[in-house]
Amino acid sequence: MRQKQSAADRTFTVFAHTFILLFTLFCVFPFLLMIIGSFTDEGELIAHGYTLFPQTLSLDAYKAVLQSDVLFNGYSVTIFITVVGALTALCISAMLGYSLANKRNVLQTPFLFFCYLPMLFSGGIIPFYIVVSQWLHLQNTIWVLILTMLCQPFLVFLLVSFFRTIPEELEEAARIDGANEMRVFFQIMIPISKPILASVGLFYALSYWNDWFMGLMFVDNEKLFPLQLILRRMVSNMEAAKNLIPASAAIAVTPPTYGVRMATTVLTIGPIVLLYPLLQKYFVKGLTVGAVKG
Amino acid sequence: MQYQLNANKGSKLKHIIRNPFLYAMAVPGLLFFLVFSYFPIYGIIIAFKDYNFAKGITGSDWVGFRNFDYFFTSDDFWIILRNTLVLNMLFIVFTTVAAVMIALMFNEIRNKYFKRISQSLIFLPYFMSWIVVGMIVQSLFGGEEPMINTWLQYLSLEPVNWMFESKLWPYILTVIRVWQGAGYLSIIFLAAITGISEDLYEAARIDGASKLQIVLRITLPLLVPTIMIMTLLAVGKIFNGDFAMIYAIIGDNSSLYPTTDVIDTFVFRSMRQLHDFGMSSAVGLFQSIMGLIFVITANWITRRVSKESALF
Repeated sequence: MRQKQSAADRTFTVFAHTFILLFTLFCVFPFLLMIIGSFTDEGELIAHGYTLFPQTLSLDAYKAVLQSDVLFNGYSVTIFITVVGALTALCISAMLGYSLANKRNVLQTPFLFFCYLPMLFSGGIIPFYIVVSQWLHLQNTIWVLILTMLCQPFLVFLLVSFFRTIPEELEEAARIDGANEMRVFFQIMIPISKPILASVGLFYALSYWNDWFMGLMFVDNEKLFPLQLILRRMVSNMEAAKNLIPASAAIAVTPPTYGVRMATTVLTIGPIVLLYPLLQKYFVKGLTVGAVKG
Repeated sequence: MQYQLNANKGSKLKHIIRNPFLYAMAVPGLLFFLVFSYFPIYGIIIAFKDYNFAKGITGSDWVGFRNFDYFFTSDDFWIILRNTLVLNMLFIVFTTVAAVMIALMFNEIRNKYFKRISQSLIFLPYFMSWIVVGMIVQSLFGGEEPMINTWLQYLSLEPVNWMFESKLWPYILTVIRVWQGAGYLSIIFLAAITGISEDLYEAARIDGASKLQIVLRITLPLLVPTIMIMTLLAVGKIFNGDFAMIYAIIGDNSSLYPTTDVIDTFVFRSMRQLHDFGMSSAVGLFQSIMGLIFVITANWITRRVSKESALF
């Protein structure tokens, strides 16, 4: 039943809408600026900086960027590590999560402790660096970008708390019907865990897509640079380049450097933004299950 | 073949042998932690050594606490410790306040399309890499003619040399942090609000409470435990400066170090530029131990507030 709203209530509703609208605009604004910037004519960018309503549009930045081998190469590296990494990571985490959540696992407590401790106490980046480069000799391989990020404790525990919500009877019934461990996992657990698997998979895909730190630490070979690292170098190189070119000559430089920066950024975030609306409903659901159940 | 549903205490080994798959499934994950988390923990002894690449971890000479002395007595120590704590406090307070506001106001919105679209857009920044954020910040504040200054001119205000004004950056970083994280955190608060019993609202409405009263007297008080827990969890991580964020935004701009250099960026720099592995790991160890103390304390308090929500 709906009641008539008092004046105070109406004011409050208006305030709530305005607040959310303003915060939404605040969140979107930088993206708009960036996308519009990437389509703005270079001369205008130099003269006025990035604006929301440019006078002249131009595709020059994208034309320049799409011809670049470096970016193409970065795309292949990033797509490879995202697909291979996220799928492997999801498999490993789902199996670990199932095993940790299973009441029959007699080693549950020690296993859980073994996975918890790294969340609380770590060796820090120096020992990590030495282990990866001096012991495992993974530097300058594509595997260092994949292996170092295969398991995130937080995501494993999202899975554990989800598997714990599945009634035990389901598993017992399957066993009585003669299903073995593998069948229980693949034919019962995996299908009913789709929402959580989708959100954990999205999180893994995101962290692989967005990673630059492992690349920065362990990769010198430009052929193995993921997209984000290329973008990072563009931020610092542009700075360096600007210091080298005298201020008077800056106008004479023809390549659309400002636009290129924005176009590259847009292309770097593009695919993830396209994937996100598809998976958003799973992701909200998965996250709330994990958060509420601890 | 028979499957045991429950194991007796004495037959653990038997249970493992009979159900190899259940245990084998955990192996790849456990192996990952062993190699990438436990081996580095062993490597902590570098903090007590004069690390030499050729000699390796075990072969390097012991130096006792010299690496720690060097760090604790330097001026940098207090600066980076203060920056780490101050920045994290700013981030926690403002992100939490914004997220609670978003959740409370969001709950008042009935229009399905407005709700769905605004929610998607509010989460969006969380999905960006810090490099992308760094690029945006760079184009707003960097360069010879920062865009922010163009806007300031419209408002006839003095332009600011952003890249040298270290005093302003704690605030700028806080705004960026709220932009990036508040929408994400608000999901958890929204979930908690959904859990509040409808009866309470019904009763309040019958008693003639206004919307504002309902929010302030019912929703907000019932949200307090969740807010406390999320805050405690964040406080537990207060010694970990957000390396990725600060490094991607500040980079090697040393004129901003006085207010933005945190433990993690300091450690990374000492490793990359000074190659001082001993001192860097000593700093890292200090950070890990302080972090551990904070997490355990925060968890202990969380347990007393709500047992369910505690981490362990």
